[in-house]
Amino acid sequence: MKRFLIISIGILLLGGNSFAQDSKPGRTQFMVRGYGHAGLDYLKTPDGTSLSYVGAAFSPIFIFKQGSRFLFEAELEFQLDQNQLDIGLEYANLMFVINKYLMVRGGKFLLPFGTFMERLHPAWVNRLSSKPLGFGHDGIAPSSGIGIELRGSAPIGGTTINYSVYSTNGPRLKDGSEEPDEAGMLNFENYIDNNINKAIGGRIGYLPLYNSSMELGVSFYTAKVGDKGSVYENVRSTLWAFDFSYVKQISPIKGVLDLKAQYNQTQVSDAYYLELEEDRDTIASYTFDNFSRAYYAQLSYRPSMSGNNFLKNIEFVSRYSKLNTPEGSEWESNADELSFGLNYWISWRQVLKLNYSFINSEGGHDATEGAGKQQSNTLFVQWAIGF
Amino acid sequence: MKKLVIISTLSLSITAIAILSGCTAQREVAAQKSGAELWAQNCIRCHNIPSPTAYNNDEWETIGLHMRERANMTNEQIGKIVEFLQAAN
Ligand code: HEC
Repeated sequence: MKRFLIISIGILLLGGNSFAQDSKPGRTQFMVRGYGHAGLDYLKTPDGTSLSYVGAAFSPIFIFKQGSRFLFEAELEFQLDQNQLDIGLEYANLMFVINKYLMVRGGKFLLPFGTFMERLHPAWVNRLSSKPLGFGHDGIAPSSGIGIELRGSAPIGGTTINYSVYSTNGPRLKDGSEEPDEAGMLNFENYIDNNINKAIGGRIGYLPLYNSSMELGVSFYTAKVGDKGSVYENVRSTLWAFDFSYVKQISPIKGVLDLKAQYNQTQVSDAYYLELEEDRDTIASYTFDNFSRAYYAQLSYRPSMSGNNFLKNIEFVSRYSKLNTPEGSEWESNADELSFGLNYWISWRQVLKLNYSFINSEGGHDATEGAGKQQSNTLFVQWAIGF
Repeated sequence: MKKLVIISTLSLSITAIAILSGCTAQREVAAQKSGAELWAQNCIRCHNIPSPTAYNNDEWETIGLHMRERANMTNEQIGKIVEFLQAAN
C-alpha cells in the first residue's frame, strides 16, 4: 500500500514537471505544492526534560485547475507516529466560480471559523512553530469539515467585504461511553454524520481600510451534536469566533508590522454524563456548564526596509494565548502560553525559527490528578519550507 | 481577566489609530488601483509576498484562482494582480 502511494506520488510529480515545461498555455493546469519541516524540541516539565529531533512532516498539496472556473485542491499530511507512517487528508474539495461575487465548494474543506486554521497554520505561514492554545489536538475550534460552502467577496466603495456560509456534518459529542474523561467534549472529525441534523456555519470578514491592511471577522458554527436516538440527541453546540488582522509596511519603523488575534468560544447545551464512583460499583450522573473559550494575540515585526541584508530577513514574534475548558468537567483545564520567536527568512517561503514558550497549565484530562499548576518551557528550532 | 482587558484595549486602540490613519491616507477606490498596488497590499496579509518571478504565467493563473478561493478576494483584485504578475515575471 505504502509502495503504491510512493510510486503514484512519483508519477504525479513527474507529470507536474513535464507539464510545467510545456510553454503553450493549456486549459488544464496542475500543480504540486505544499510544505514540510524539520526541527529540534527541548521540553522541560515538572516530570523531567526531553530533547528530540522532530519533523519528518510532509504535506503535499495538489491543485488542478480546469478552465478559468474550476479548481480541485487536496492536501495530504504524512507524519510519523511511533515510527509508523500516518496519513491524513487535510482537505479535498472542488470549487466552482459561479459569478463575480460567489464561489461554491464541496468536499472536505478548511473551515473559515476564524482565520488561524484556514489561513495561518501551514509551517511556512505560521510565525511560530506551535499553534496557539485551543487549536489542534483537544482544541475547541474546528479546522475542517465535510459539506458544501458558498463563499465570495465584494467591494464596498474602497473597502471589501468577504463572506462564507456552509453546511457540514458538524461536530460529534463525546458522551463518555468510550472515554469517560472526555465526556462533553466535541470531536470535530465527523466523517459519517452521527445524526440527521446538519451543522450551519459562516463567517463575515470586513476590510475597512482602503489599503486592505486590516480585517475584522465574525464566525459562527452551530449543530446538534449527539448520536441519533440517544439521550444526547438534542444537545446542541454553538461556537463563535472573532478575528483580527493588521499587516502593514510602515516607513517610520522601517518594516512590516503584523498583528493577528482570534477569540473562540464553544457552548454545548446542558446534558447529564455518567461517571463510575470511586468504589467502582456505583454509577453517578453529573452535569456542568459546558462552556470553553480560547484566544490568542500575536505581534510580529520584520525590519524589511532595513538597508542591511541580514537584518531585513530577521523577524521578531511574540504571542500570548489562553485556554479555559469547563469547570466541573473531567477535562477542566486552565492554561496560558507566552511565546517569543526570532525568525530568519531564507526566502519568501523558507524560514528558520527559534522559539521559546512558557506554558502554565492546570488540569486537563491527560494531567495527573491533583497535580496543581504546572509550568513547562519549550525551546523549538524549526526549519520550514513551502514548495 | 485583566490580561483580556489589556489585550482588548490594545487591539481597539490599534484599530482606531489604523482606521484614522487610513482615512487620512489617499482615498483611492479599489477600481483605480493598479495590479502592482493590489499585489503589494494584499499578498502580504497572510504570508510573505511572493515575487512575480517565483512562477511562470500558467502557474500564476492557477495560484490566482487558488488564492481567490483561499483568501476570499474579489474577482477584480485577483484579475489585476495576476495580470501584473504575468507581466512582471
Ligand atoms: C488570507 C490569507 C492569504 C492571502 C491574502 C494570500 N494568501 Fe497565498 N496562501 C495562503 C495560504 C494559507 C497558502 C497555503 C495553501 C494551503 O496550505 O492550502 C498560500 C499559498 C500560496 C502560494 C503557494 C502555492 C499555492 O497556491 O498554494 C502562493 C504562490 C501564494 N499563496 C501567492 C499569493 C498571492 C500572489 C497572493 C495575493 C493575491 C496571496 N497569496 C494572498 C494564504 C493567503
